[in-house]
Amino acid sequence: MKIRAIGNLLILCATVALSYGMQVSKPHYAELTAPIPIDGAMHDTVRARSFDVRLDKVVFARTLKTNQFGQERLLTTSGLWAVVTADLTATSTSTTVAGGTWQGPTGLRYHHTERLSYRQDMPPHAVDPDLERNGLFVFEVPPDQIRGASLLVAARRFAPLDAQARISLDAVPTGADGQPTDVLPLYDLDAPAPPQGQTQQGQTQQGKT
Amino acid sequence: MFKTARSKFQTWITAGAGTIAALLVAGLMGAFGALPAHAPPQLPSDAAIDAGPWRVQPVRAYVSRAKVYGVPLKPGQKALVLEADMTNRTAQSDKAYFNVFKPDGIDLPDPLPMIALARDSTLTPELHPGMTERMAYVWPLARDAAVPANLSFGVTAEIFKPRDNLYGTPGWFNPYRLGTVAMPVADLPESGS
Amino acid sequence: MSTVSTDIDPASGGETKWRRRGLVALAILLPLTLAETSYDSVREWLHGEDLIARDVEFGQSMPFGGSDWRLADLRGGKAGRLPDHAFAVIATFSVTVGDPDLQKQWLGCKVMLTDAAGRRWLPDFISGVSLPDGVMNCTSAIFSGAKKGDIITVGETFIVPEDAVKTIRPAVGLGSERPWYLRFQRPPK
Repeated sequence: MKIRAIGNLLILCATVALSYGMQVSKPHYAELTAPIPIDGAMHDTVRARSFDVRLDKVVFARTLKTNQFGQERLLTTSGLWAVVTADLTATSTSTTVAGGTWQGPTGLRYHHTERLSYRQDMPPHAVDPDLERNGLFVFEVPPDQIRGASLLVAARRFAPLDAQARISLDAVPTGADGQPTDVLPLYDLDAPAPPQGQTQQGQTQQGKT
Repeated sequence: MFKTARSKFQTWITAGAGTIAALLVAGLMGAFGALPAHAPPQLPSDAAIDAGPWRVQPVRAYVSRAKVYGVPLKPGQKALVLEADMTNRTAQSDKAYFNVFKPDGIDLPDPLPMIALARDSTLTPELHPGMTERMAYVWPLARDAAVPANLSFGVTAEIFKPRDNLYGTPGWFNPYRLGTVAMPVADLPESGS
Repeated sequence: MSTVSTDIDPASGGETKWRRRGLVALAILLPLTLAETSYDSVREWLHGEDLIARDVEFGQSMPFGGSDWRLADLRGGKAGRLPDHAFAVIATFSVTVGDPDLQKQWLGCKVMLTDAAGRRWLPDFISGVSLPDGVMNCTSAIFSGAKKGDIITVGETFIVPEDAVKTIRPAVGLGSERPWYLRFQRPPK
């Protein structure tokens, strides 16, 4: 009888310990339903579930120039404008890519700016299978959030359990102070041919790392 | 017979004691509730205020009869405008700043203000972590509404929960009145700011 | 009375028997509960996806969403502003309206192109290419006020990569018919 009581007590203790361990170690709801990251580097094609994305270049500027309803607008910022050009393709079915987030080195998340009105080359990007499409993601970021940052691209802005491309921006050339080496005073979003030098520079940097 | 009567009496006493205890506790709590509540503190108008997810610093307040920051006014309306420097203290871009300021003692036709980015009049853009922007809160008022020369604005903050009770996700909850900040209100002539 | 008392009497093994019955019941009830709770989600998902193709020969018409659908034309070529190695494709359907409540029957109307590899293209806007006169896209057809017996022409423009052009087949999905969709045979060359 005594042995049985001790046995029961032991089972109880073990259950408590197990339950506590599970409570402490089990992932939380937010983690369980978080997007599934797919890591990649700049200039690589990153294959998410419903789309492929390749980052071509990142341009930093102090002011953006854009045309809105036939009117020229100059957009200033308290930080820097980061204009990311990406090549997007759908995997098997035409779809849209709406979520673009700049994630700083410490995990701060900067969403695509809401200060630009809708343009053809802005999210949501309509993408088709095997048709490459150039799309822009535009962010306002403080200069100290550039080194070690990564770009998160997902089909939707809230995409629980869906794939999210996480592209490291280590190939962006930055100076000793963490600031990008090239900051344009003005970037024209409507300029027909974007400056080629940026891409070249990005690629050489990529070759070195 | 006697035994049942006694047990009945005991039951009454027990139940009665519970009721009395409950009444006492409720009375005490009520009494505490009736104590003069702490008035929300007066916040400095010349320093940054940490109001939950936002760090705010009011800059100026005025009444305008012309369109301010692209916010259209209906005929017969004027606008009470509060300009403030706002910084997102959270980890991601957000626009949950609609209830941060509220003018006290003024009859508002619409309690939700129109909020514009002073930089380029974009209406209610998301503000990004750590990037301070000047925002203009615009409350349309009836043209004949009286606005005191020195107006108190209530500041609402929220508390951060690393795990909310429903989903266990982090977020800002339980808005509470942090205090009030008094601002002189200039009356701008017809031409506007 | 007597059976009950023997059943719950542990000495006679009744408890074991009931335990076993409980376990069996669990094995039946748990999957049933799961099916019951997921039924609505599964149904909703099925009604939102074009999963099962119903093939239609060229020249034939097929009742779908209360109307008769026939592939009128499928043509491709280089036109307007297109990316490299891509073609513009216009697919048009001749539809005899049966049930005139198009807003209900045609809700979520989706015209698409499928190819041999299973890829799907949705309509695209191509600057410089517009639908022929009298052809409307599916959404405007819904609000066109077409009556029973009317024959309307529904069409969409697509951008398709070069390697898919040879095998593309037009397809139509409607909210009232999902998960079934119509897939049309290409016109003979």
